Amino acid sequence: MALTREDVRGIAEYARIALSEQELDEMTSYLNEAVELLEPIRAYDLSGIDPTFHPIGDLTNVMASDEPDAHGRSLDLEVALGNAVSTRGRAFRVPSILGDTAEKGAGAEGGDR
Amino acid sequence: MPYIDELSAAEIAAGVARGDFSATEVVRASLDAIASREPDVQAFLQISADLALQTAAVTDARRAKGEPLGLLAGVPVAFKDNMQLVGTRTTCASRMLEHFESPFTATCVQRLLDAGATPIGKTNMDEFAFGSSTESSAFHRTGNPWDTQRVPGGSSGGSAAAVAAGEVPIALGSDTGGSIRQPASFCGVVGMKPTYGVVSRYGVVAFGSSLDQVGPFGRCVCDVALAMDALVVGGRDPLDSMSQSVPASFREQLEEPVEGMRVGVIESLMEHEALSAEVRAALEDARAALETQGVQFVQVALPHMEAAIAAYYVIGPAEAFSNLARFDGVRFGYQEPDCATLAEQTARSRARGFGAEAKRRQLLGAYLLASGVYDQYYYPAQQVRTLITADYRAAFARCDALLLPAAPTAAFRFGEMSTPTQMYAADLFTISNNIAGNAGVSVPVGLGKTSCMPIAAQLQGPAFKDHALLRVARALERGVEDAGRTCSGTVAPGFARMGGVLA
Repeated sequence: MALTREDVRGIAEYARIALSEQELDEMTSYLNEAVELLEPIRAYDLSGIDPTFHPIGDLTNVMASDEPDAHGRSLDLEVALGNAVSTRGRAFRVPSILGDTAEKGAGAEGGDR
Repeated sequence: MPYIDELSAAEIAAGVARGDFSATEVVRASLDAIASREPDVQAFLQISADLALQTAAVTDARRAKGEPLGLLAGVPVAFKDNMQLVGTRTTCASRMLEHFESPFTATCVQRLLDAGATPIGKTNMDEFAFGSSTESSAFHRTGNPWDTQRVPGGSSGGSAAAVAAGEVPIALGSDTGGSIRQPASFCGVVGMKPTYGVVSRYGVVAFGSSLDQVGPFGRCVCDVALAMDALVVGGRDPLDSMSQSVPASFREQLEEPVEGMRVGVIESLMEHEALSAEVRAALEDARAALETQGVQFVQVALPHMEAAIAAYYVIGPAEAFSNLARFDGVRFGYQEPDCATLAEQTARSRARGFGAEAKRRQLLGAYLLASGVYDQYYYPAQQVRTLITADYRAAFARCDALLLPAAPTAAFRFGEMSTPTQMYAADLFTISNNIAGNAGVSVPVGLGKTSCMPIAAQLQGPAFKDHALLRVARALERGVEDAGRTCSGTVAPGFARMGGVLA
């Protein structure tokens, strides 16, 4: 059954990509074309076949020892914050998460970016 | 003095070690060669000239002090722009990461630097590696050095073009569904996708985590072997949990005879309707080149190969959607201003930051992972993966390698592939290898009789038999050279000896 424009609107909301109305049309026809390309995998009798989730078969979960990172992977604060557009002090700065409205008139505080 | 593009990586490293020329002179020649070619080729997104000169100065100082030099001492190398290198941006050819400064260096990049290589710059690619032509780069297109009106292939098109144009002798790419082997084929260079796990992916922006693998491009098999040795000599990388240790003996085994080895061909693939006549003819020449060296050919079958494209375009987009969920515009990446809520900021940042193909793949992945749909496509795709892997196992019980095309045609013209799904279908000869995690290498075998563009043969080998596979690749290259049809080892004719005198 073909995906409708409203189906695609729902998928885009779930994927957190704000599509324009024109993009919605394009993506609807694309997704229907792409899903058609996927049909061959439904043509086989797959009962009793185990899935392969990654190609190195005999590898089970790889666990690291519970110790402080010996490889120096922790980034310095300025490096970690350096690629963010909005920061405050030691933190990434984001708009309202829980409420629907922005912090009105909060203005920029010291250290804001 | 020679032009920089006349030297292989091995010759450059040997020349630097002997003192024929300094690493700094090599960098200057390489930068000069790049400056004269880039207006036409546009292989690079960023040239790291200062970093290259600093690195070369360190190499020259080491030599002056009599310290040992690495395998790639003074060799200019380029990196696909999804690989982190401190001191450069890592953009993935996306507006999303246009200003992203690499916070650390990828292991694959570091391994080449540890071997003494000089980092020349970051190469163009399809945005986030989604594509087969480098046309989805958000910044500019890259011309195929053999005909700049044609695409270089993709997604590692910039790396392939940089090597083919003689800008660098070695470049790294990544291959999730053919993104090293297909551009290597289009540009007439050697490109290797090692077995999944052979090269660390730490610091490479993830696309499809169960499929992604890093590998080198070179103008000859010998340089690819050299790069492979440099990539694996450090052993297993604990920072990539899939990383496996393999011996750094690619060069050592390269010239061993292949007499008595068996190579399989898959008749149904050779008769595939999508395969162009000139590629089919080139594959027959490749077969003859190996047969004269005592390789025996056997017929094998991969019965589930027909489902490989479908399985790949389920698994790849699903994994891409998961991996690209991290681009929310908060910690890094494009951030849309003046949004009232985080949800709005995320959706609008992603809408503005990602190009069309990146959106397509993520929407497809989001759909396929939705409850109800998962059981129809995602789970069956992973079952089909089991069948494809078993097909390969059965085939490799009868042969040491498979000979097949790398792409159905030679490089196509810009805009020639009119729909995304038409482009997807052209991946049919490369993707099953990623699905099974095996090794593959693309070797130039001459120019197409009608297109006059490079054509490659692809060799695929069993997982972790990468050394033997490269040995067959070298034999093929040798056979093609002996037949006088070579385009291996050479720079695309329009760009040969264009600036870059070593002086």
